[in-house]
Parts: sequence; structure tokens; C-alpha cells
Amino acid sequence: MAKFKSSIPCGAVKILLFWSVLTISFSAAAQMDMGMDHSSHSGMAMPAKFPTCEGSGLECANAATPFLSSDGRLYLAWTAGGVVSVARSSDLGKTFGMPVQIADHGKVLDAGGDARPQIVVSGDKVFLTYAFFKDTHWNAQVNIAYSSDSGETFSVPTSIVKDASSQRFPIVALEPNGKLFVSWVDKRLVAAAKGTDHEMLGGSIAYAISDDFGHSFYPEHIANKDSCECCRIGAAVDPRGGVAIAYRAIFPTGVRDHASQFISDVGIAGPVRRISDDNWKTNVCPHQGPSIAVSESGTFHVAWFTQGSNRKGIFYANSHNEGKTYSEPQRIGVEGSNVSRPYLLALGNHVWLTWKEFDGHKSFIHLKESVNDGRSWLGEEVVTGADGYTDHPLLISRGNDVYLSWLSRQNGYQLIKVGQR
Amino acid sequence: MRKILFVLLFLFSCARWAYAGESDLIPYQKGDWKALLALANERPIAIHLWGVTCAPCAPEMAAWGKFLPKHPEDKVIFLQVDNVSKEMIHTMLARAKLSNANNYYIAQANDEALRYEIDSQWFGETPVTILIDKSGNRESILGPVDFKYLQAWFKKQNS
Repeated sequence: MAKFKSSIPCGAVKILLFWSVLTISFSAAAQMDMGMDHSSHSGMAMPAKFPTCEGSGLECANAATPFLSSDGRLYLAWTAGGVVSVARSSDLGKTFGMPVQIADHGKVLDAGGDARPQIVVSGDKVFLTYAFFKDTHWNAQVNIAYSSDSGETFSVPTSIVKDASSQRFPIVALEPNGKLFVSWVDKRLVAAAKGTDHEMLGGSIAYAISDDFGHSFYPEHIANKDSCECCRIGAAVDPRGGVAIAYRAIFPTGVRDHASQFISDVGIAGPVRRISDDNWKTNVCPHQGPSIAVSESGTFHVAWFTQGSNRKGIFYANSHNEGKTYSEPQRIGVEGSNVSRPYLLALGNHVWLTWKEFDGHKSFIHLKESVNDGRSWLGEEVVTGADGYTDHPLLISRGNDVYLSWLSRQNGYQLIKVGQR
Repeated sequence: MRKILFVLLFLFSCARWAYAGESDLIPYQKGDWKALLALANERPIAIHLWGVTCAPCAPEMAAWGKFLPKHPEDKVIFLQVDNVSKEMIHTMLARAKLSNANNYYIAQANDEALRYEIDSQWFGETPVTILIDKSGNRESILGPVDFKYLQAWFKKQNS
């Protein structure tokens, strides 16, 4: 040690220290030399005026997804602070029991604008699915977990597939025959095509079916190899059997317009059918997927967001022939207004459509109803509103009653009865 | 002596890495938009909204990383809008060679109020590049930017 001390040339150390300070200063100067006056940055770096909610409780959730079981209990799955939780309520969301934490992924949980956990319940069986980013290249994994004791405990979450590429945005539907249908955005074909002469944009729409409530799935299928990779999928059970899905497809020349497909109750995917010719030719992540509902007659009702050259905003259309043809898109909300997140529910031949509207200060939830299978609509109403961060409005039903499910920082979780068949 | 110098160089490298990796991300919140625009100092500016989870953003950020050193006079601000960790943002910026660019990130929920202040018709799509000229006129480009167009725009505005 003494030898080292005695052999240190002070001059060299001083030169090194001077060099360090000089170079660090130069780096800072170089950043400023990009033409920016950073003098006012300090104002932005002050303590947050809008502190981020950091906990895993419902009060900090970015997305909450409900399911009303046949025994009348409300199951709510949410993501907050990187944790996926489930809690039950016996009084329609006024109070909840102790949450069960299913997984903690921290900052790599997929908490994007269109991501949300999915939950379905049948008797004492509960199935849950969500996604998280598994590597630093933002490849995602769809995890599934199940409970056989009404959500008291859950299995350790595992990947829904063995494929190592990327899966994201799971959506689940419980078919009348008890089968579970799960669909997601899958990037295995895109990954396989990388570096070849046939590189692909976006992702693909994949699906799998389980007849033991998620303990195992039949091998997955690709419904459409060309879809947007950053938008959720809409799925709705056809009361006559099978599932209809709607999603943002990628059509030739990179047009990201919407398509629907019918997946039969034995898992056969029907043809890809375009919902509307919006002509949104882009390579952008919209972070806004569509919603679909199927009424008693088998009519498909779809609502979606687009920034196409033919129309911009959110729109509704329906199809009476499993998507072969769709009605002319109807604008939702006033043109130019800030409307988003449409969601549909069908019960019998009644259809409810909700969406979010922001007036520059506050978000309001609008709702309208059709009593004739989407041929005409009754007047719209504003159900509720909130300041600050708000989740998408969702609709669920129990018996003949229809409820709005909405989460906001200001009002917390709300389940509001909004209609009756 | 050589060991000491090596240790000092290592420590110095760590210090530089810490500087470049942690201190160059600036938090952005609702209410900051005007202050961000004021950074232009009455010159044209491009504000690029991007997200680490947005697939089209990664190759575009790499292209920005090549564009900026060739055009040091052009004012560009990057605003990362996904709800992710700062480490994730740093990783992507480093890959794109943009660690020393003017990097901001949203330090609150990406909600309607935050987006509305930036553009009442921006619904969270990424990437978006907002070009603002000396007079404050703006043009929003949805999707990856055409760098030839961008270069021409800056050239015209700066002439």
C-alpha cells in the first residue's frame, strides 16, 4: 500500500481529474450545443405535480376488468404497480375482499394503453390471462393462471404457448359450451420472416381453445397472419355458438383497417372480412383496438378508431351475415371532438354502446342503446365523468341487467347499472 | 502506477456512464408543453413522441440517431410516452445512439389531459413528430418521419 502511495505521481492524478471534469463538462456542453436552451429545464425537473400512483392496490390501477359470475359475485382483475391482482365483491363493487396477487412483473408488466388483464369465471373456476415484456427487445409473453377455489388461490402463471417469439394483448371469451377461447397478437411469423426477402410488418392474430378451463389448450392456430401488433383484439361469443373476433388488420400496401372473423365452436376460423374501407395507411402504433358484440340474431356489432384518409374518429357498423358485408360506418360523437375507447354489449336484440369523451378538462362516459339490433339508436346520455387518469369504459351484464364498469383515479372503481333488456 | 491509472480510468468511465445514463432524461408532465415549446427560442423545432413498446419506433429512433449528428443545428426534442422504467428508456436510447439527445419522458400517467395539451386530436398513437415553425405553425406527422422531408423542412425554415 505504502509502495503504491509513494509511487503515485500527483501530477498525473491532477491531469486525470482535470481531464474528467473537462470531458464531463464538454459532454454537457455538447448536449446544449444541439441548439437547445436548457436553462428552463430545471422548471420541468421539479418534484412531480402529478405524483405517480405507485402501489399495487385498485386505487393505483391503470386497467381493471370485471366479470359477473352466475352467483352474483363481481370478480375484478387489475394491474397496478407491475402487479396483477384479483378481488371479489358481493355488493356489485361497493366493497371488495382482500386482493389476491397473481404475479409481480414490476415495470415490465404490459401496462400500455390497450393492455388489460382478462378474467372469466364458471362456478368455482377462474381463468386469468395477461402479458408482460420478457426481454429488452420488448418481446412479450402471454401468461395464464387458473383457480379452482373461486379465486382464493391461483396457479403459478405460465406462458400460454411454447413459442419463444412474442405474444401480447390476450382476450378471452367463455363459450356457452364451457370452452375457453383465447386470442392474442402473435409475432412468430414476423420473427421467422425477419432477415428474409419476405419481411412482415406487425403481428398475427392467433387463438387457442381449452375444454378444461385453461388447464390445457389445443394447439394454437393463426387466424390472420397480418395484423397490427399494438392493438387489443375484440372478441364476443355468438349466442348460437362460436366466437366473433375483430381486430386491426394489415391489408396490402400497409393499410391498417379493421377486419372480423368468425371462429366456429370447433375452432375453425372463417375468412377474413373487412369491416370498413377507412384507408389508414400507416406504420404507427394506434394503441386502440376495436370492440365487437354479437346479438341474439347473430348480428355482428363493431366499433373502432381510425385515422384513415376516408374517415377519422370512432365509428360503428353492423353485419347481418357474419361479416360478409357491413353497414355504412356511423360516426360516434361529434366530428372533431376528443372521443375514444368505444365498447359494445349485446343482450337479446338490445345493443349498448359506450365511449369516452374528453372536453379539455374532464373525461365523460357516454352511452346509447338500440332496442332493434342496431338499426336505430335512442338518444345518448352522459353516465359519469372524472378528472385525471381514467380507464376505458366497459360493459357487462348479469341476467337482463347491464352495467358500466369504469375505473378512474378520482372516483375509484365504479359499477353502474345503465340498462335492462 | 499503471494499475492506478487503469483504476482511475475505470472510475472515470463509470462516472461518464452514470452521467450519460441517468442525468439526461428530463421528466415531463401536463403543464410543461409551453415550456417545452419555449426551448425553441423562436427557431423551428421538431418534437418527436415515441414509446419503447412501439414496434415502429425502434427503427425510427435508430434513424434519428444517424440524422442528428449530421444536422447539429436542427432543434429536436424526444418525448418518451410509454409507462416504462427509465432503464428501459435508456437502453433504447443507447441502442439508437441518442443518449445525449434532448430526452424527456412522461412522469405521470399518459392520460387525456396530458395528450390534449399537446394536441387535442392526438389519441396516444406513436410515433408522432410535431414540426413547429418560427411563427408557431405546426404540422403533425403520424408514423415514422421521412427524413428527406424533415431535412428539407428544417432547411426551408432556417433559410
